[in-house]
Amino acid sequence: MAVAATPRGYIERPRPSGLADVIDVILDKGLVIDAYVRVSLIGIEILTIDARIVIASVDTYLRFAEAVNRLDIAHDDTTHGLPELMESITESGSSGKTKGVLEGAKESLFGGDDDNDDDDDKQQSQSRSRSRSRASSRSGSSSSRSRSGSSSSRSSRSRKKSS
Amino acid sequence: MTQSAVYVYGVALPGCKPISTRGVEASRVRALEHAGLTALVSDIGAEQLAAAREVRAHWRVLDEASESCTILPVRFGTVMESEEAVRVTLLEPNGERLKALLRELDGRVQLVLKGDYDEPQLMRDVVRQSAAVAELRDRLRAVPAEAGYYDRIRLGELVADHVAHRRAEDTRIALETLEPLSVAAREEQIGQSDAAFNLAFLVDRDGLERFNQGVRKLAGELGERIALRYVGPLPPYSFADVELDTEAAAWA
Repeated sequence: MAVAATPRGYIERPRPSGLADVIDVILDKGLVIDAYVRVSLIGIEILTIDARIVIASVDTYLRFAEAVNRLDIAHDDTTHGLPELMESITESGSSGKTKGVLEGAKESLFGGDDDNDDDDDKQQSQSRSRSRSRASSRSGSSSSRSRSGSSSSRSSRSRKKSS
Repeated sequence: MTQSAVYVYGVALPGCKPISTRGVEASRVRALEHAGLTALVSDIGAEQLAAAREVRAHWRVLDEASESCTILPVRFGTVMESEEAVRVTLLEPNGERLKALLRELDGRVQLVLKGDYDEPQLMRDVVRQSAAVAELRDRLRAVPAEAGYYDRIRLGELVADHVAHRRAEDTRIALETLEPLSVAAREEQIGQSDAAFNLAFLVDRDGLERFNQGVRKLAGELGERIALRYVGPLPPYSFADVELDTEAAAWA
């Protein structure tokens, strides 16, 4: 579960602890057997809506305007001004943390395929302590959103999307 | 919902090893073989799933299955009335289509590459490159926020145009390097305003090493500006994005 990276990126192989980075894939992709999708999912609506609100909206424009305005005033401000978005909060943690471990990339990506999943919990805490901040903070905020989220039916969502 | 409902994880050709990890609602996952296909299913009783835990269960079942065979993930949250419904309305009528898709995906995996900008750096670049943005910003600074509302929207719009342009260019660079190393590539929707791209690739298992080298090369090119998140191998979620016809026999 090692992390390897560019100067400010990281690369990882997904065990369950990497789930936060592919949650959109898992929620949104796959065979759709539409007539049978009947289960309602607490919180899922919130997660997926978040992924859709960013493109072109007045809100986005205002945030961008704020972001350029802030540049010289607070040069090294690490907050992003995007508090609505679960993914925006942790840049400072991921930058500069991972330098020099690029060589681990191959092993961490493709090694250990036959690993047992028994040590999930351990892996998870390891990855936390590495402050792979995006992933862990995102999953953190996801679950809190889940709790506060309204429940809504899965089938209505897939209809909406396919139209 | 009756207790006999089944949760459906995915469809494969026969030959997957038995799944040892517990599925949704901690149920045993079993292989339902019919019409030359295997569906991975488990019993489900609840009307609602607690998303966080069950997404993980869904993911783990498919992850384990994909270690021994090629599997088409069914979209998360799919529940069918009974095993009989899985046989008669999923596997049988869609058999040829599913088998063709499985053959196409055989020996291939999905890799996801996401890129994120550092927003302050991105904004500095935009201001540097665009006289219009720089000028409007400077003018707005002299104006109270309420008075400049529409101008601020205009400013944000200008910035968004530049960001969109930058995204398109960086996506092109990424695809130029990686698409030739993959069987197929998809641009997925980005998830936040500082995202650069969100790409899904279908890659032959024995081409993984080459693809991985391509990602490293790309990381060398873009790494100063874009933080990459590289995840895989996964079952081919993005390439099983197919809507099946089941107009008949919905639940009464």
